[in-house]
Amino acid sequence: MNYFNTAFGTASQVQQNLSGILAYILSFLSANSKPILQVLVLPGLAFTLVFAIVAVWFERKFLARAMLRVGPYYCGGRSGVLQVFADFIKLFLKEIIIPEKVNWLFFAITPVMVSMVPGLALVLIPFDANWVLWDIGSLGLPMFLAIMGIAPLMPIFAGWASNNKYSFIGAWRVAYMYISGEIPIVICAASVAIMAGSFNLVKIVEAQKNMWFAIPQFIGFIIFFIGLLIESERTPFDMPVAEVELVFGWRTEFSGILFGFTMMAEYVMLQAWTLLFITLYLGGYNGPIIMGNVIGSHIFWLLAKFAIIVVFVVLLRCVYSRPRMDQMLKIGWNYLTPIALLNLFVVLALKLWGIF
Amino acid sequence: MSWIKRLLRPIGIVAPYIFRNSQTVAYPTERLIFKDRFRGRHKFYFERCISCGICARVCPCASIVLVPAEGHEKTYPSIDYNTCSFCGYCVEYCPKQALEFTDVVELAVKDRSTLKYSPEQLSVVPEIKDLVPRMKRRIEAYLTDKEMKYRKVKDV
Amino acid sequence: MSEPTIKPELMRISWGPQHPMSGQTRILLDTDGEKVHKIIADLGYTHRGIEKVLENRSLLGGLIPIERMAMVDTANISIGYVTAAEKALGIQVPERAQWIRSLVCEMSRINSHLYAFGLQAEATGYFPAVFIWTTVDREVLLDLFEELTGARWSFNHFLPGGVHKDFPEGFKEKIIEAAHYLRNRFKDYWNAMIENPMFEMRCDNVAILEPKDALRLGATGPVLRGSGIPIDMRKEEPYAAYADLDWQIITEDACDVMARTKVRFHEIGQSLNMMEQIAKEIPEGEIKTRFSPFARAPAGEHISRVENARGEMSIHLWTNGTTNPYRVKIMPPSLRNMYVFERLAELSNMTIADIPVVINSIDPWYLDADR
Repeated sequence: MNYFNTAFGTASQVQQNLSGILAYILSFLSANSKPILQVLVLPGLAFTLVFAIVAVWFERKFLARAMLRVGPYYCGGRSGVLQVFADFIKLFLKEIIIPEKVNWLFFAITPVMVSMVPGLALVLIPFDANWVLWDIGSLGLPMFLAIMGIAPLMPIFAGWASNNKYSFIGAWRVAYMYISGEIPIVICAASVAIMAGSFNLVKIVEAQKNMWFAIPQFIGFIIFFIGLLIESERTPFDMPVAEVELVFGWRTEFSGILFGFTMMAEYVMLQAWTLLFITLYLGGYNGPIIMGNVIGSHIFWLLAKFAIIVVFVVLLRCVYSRPRMDQMLKIGWNYLTPIALLNLFVVLALKLWGIF
Repeated sequence: MSWIKRLLRPIGIVAPYIFRNSQTVAYPTERLIFKDRFRGRHKFYFERCISCGICARVCPCASIVLVPAEGHEKTYPSIDYNTCSFCGYCVEYCPKQALEFTDVVELAVKDRSTLKYSPEQLSVVPEIKDLVPRMKRRIEAYLTDKEMKYRKVKDV
Repeated sequence: MSEPTIKPELMRISWGPQHPMSGQTRILLDTDGEKVHKIIADLGYTHRGIEKVLENRSLLGGLIPIERMAMVDTANISIGYVTAAEKALGIQVPERAQWIRSLVCEMSRINSHLYAFGLQAEATGYFPAVFIWTTVDREVLLDLFEELTGARWSFNHFLPGGVHKDFPEGFKEKIIEAAHYLRNRFKDYWNAMIENPMFEMRCDNVAILEPKDALRLGATGPVLRGSGIPIDMRKEEPYAAYADLDWQIITEDACDVMARTKVRFHEIGQSLNMMEQIAKEIPEGEIKTRFSPFARAPAGEHISRVENARGEMSIHLWTNGTTNPYRVKIMPPSLRNMYVFERLAELSNMTIADIPVVINSIDPWYLDADR
């Protein structure tokens, strides 16, 4: 339909055709209202941005209380809620300094990619049996792991492109860390899929209606949780960004809004892996129905579990010190991988004997 | 499995800290009451000074110079707060106790030459509530078994 | 400074002055990846010429610049200079003054060890939680200092012949209350930090310093006592009231970073015991003997050795009959320990991730090392 050609016709034709364009847009919106709502609000753009903002504020306040301080206090009336917005606006207005001799293409693109690639994986998480943005069916779980497998490449490129010794060391630490954390996670996810009988994330959640998978597979539960901390570079496993040793690891040379993106990357990866963790082990969106509203209560229970896990992950930040690199590799290969395989054998045994 | 108990015990120790009071002082709104011997700004008494010059000789930072003052016939000390280290020798070795310490620490200025205080300026000490207009309370610290807390002593 | 040339297969990283955890110094690391092959310490960023400044001040006035040499541990440095000045002037100090001096020195030692403990926690990645808790606990001690001396860290309480001021009213009860409070807090630190398996993983068997190496290279302070050698200036040449107080030298045999951290921790316990004993048993008497600020010392040469929180400090004082000393030579503990730190790269395997942990276990204070 050549709307653009006929739009330059007579006045009455323009009016007719413009109302035709409007009618087309409105009919498109009303036919696809649910996907658009999903893309823009939940689990899409608004959810990610709001979570990043709320998580930064919450982490600063929580850690300040654990350190017997107050945290952001002046901006936004005693609780400092507007402090995050103020920092965000400040980062937009700062100058982006690009040093000489960096590979400027990678330098400019990797911060954006590193915070958006985990956002892509969020589209696969089911918030309700009918509320999945990309309902891929029986390829849900492998697709998620495949998308998150691209995630370690970005910090490595960023560290190499920065032309700085500290960033370089941070980049290969990222490589070491992801090597030791990826395999136990994949084995644990595979054992969940075996117990549920399918790779479809919605079916995995439906199979946990009676009992969460955390209870028969508590070994896998703990291993996946440790792997979650490794994969999202959270303390106690934030070696690539160890501020006391390497000035800021692979994030050293970024300034201005690129720095803002690298900070946001940490929270978006945490969000993606935590939602997968809840889907696989903690029953996804299952929970008692509140006031007869099925979709609303499913979304509420998923967000409630999400909030509790995020609070616990933030608490772990001020309790443990970080291990060294060779100790990290030893943990990953000597302890996590064999225990994950043990978990797999337990699940196979339970499945063969027909208990689950 | 004492290893696992030792691994999980720090979580139980750190988590209750979230519910304790914060141990910070919100400065312009609250101000600590300093102890009696606190060495803040000086206060000078014209009628007690005998112009012996011991304060100028004993000052290790060479901050005191004796200058003439209006309306008095002898020379009196003027203290340069650019170099004063608040050590206390001038107060201690003055034979007539003409110099004393107060608890004023708000001495910030925009022009360094105004930090040389003349004897007239030294003899007048402003009140704390004029120097810190946003102040609402004076607080002090006290110890309980587990934590140190701040309590309000008086409103301003 | 002309630095030694680097082997072509290594990478030289400048743990430079612009670094979140380097302090006021620059340390060059030659690494090939993670293992550190050579350390070169480039001190001198904060040299202020204190030894020359002291030649232009009288013996009493010289106490002010020398206090600024180490801000967390002021009393132990002052007492070194005061003891040397008293030997030069030939003054005796009354007994109550010696006990008050010991009290202030021990409180200063607790102050410094708490600060070092917090920095060690931050260096292992323990997020500054423990550092802030130790800062809060130091507030209790700083309030006590303010009540006794008038200032929070530059107390300037000693003078040749005694101390400036006596205890105010109700001070003894406050000391005992503060010691009780600090003991409760240390239970928390022991359980949350030192018994934490992740902290142990980071600190055990790292940078082992054998006893014979420690003696050969000239280590001092907790670095030496963490290798099992019981040398402490307070027992070798007792000054102030240490001969009358009831305490032990703390040593550990493991010779690694964890041993040095534990030595500092238990030394805080010993200092708290000494504080309580002083508060209960201090004798009555005068607090200063007659001393003129413009006194002249006869010509001579005098040495005093004291135990800082970081090790042994010695002050060598030459006087020539005027009010000012002729020459003062200070040998700080941090400079000797930094030499040991440079040799540790050859003696044991260290990676880049170990460097902040090892630096903070040796606990140098660069203002001290540069004077």
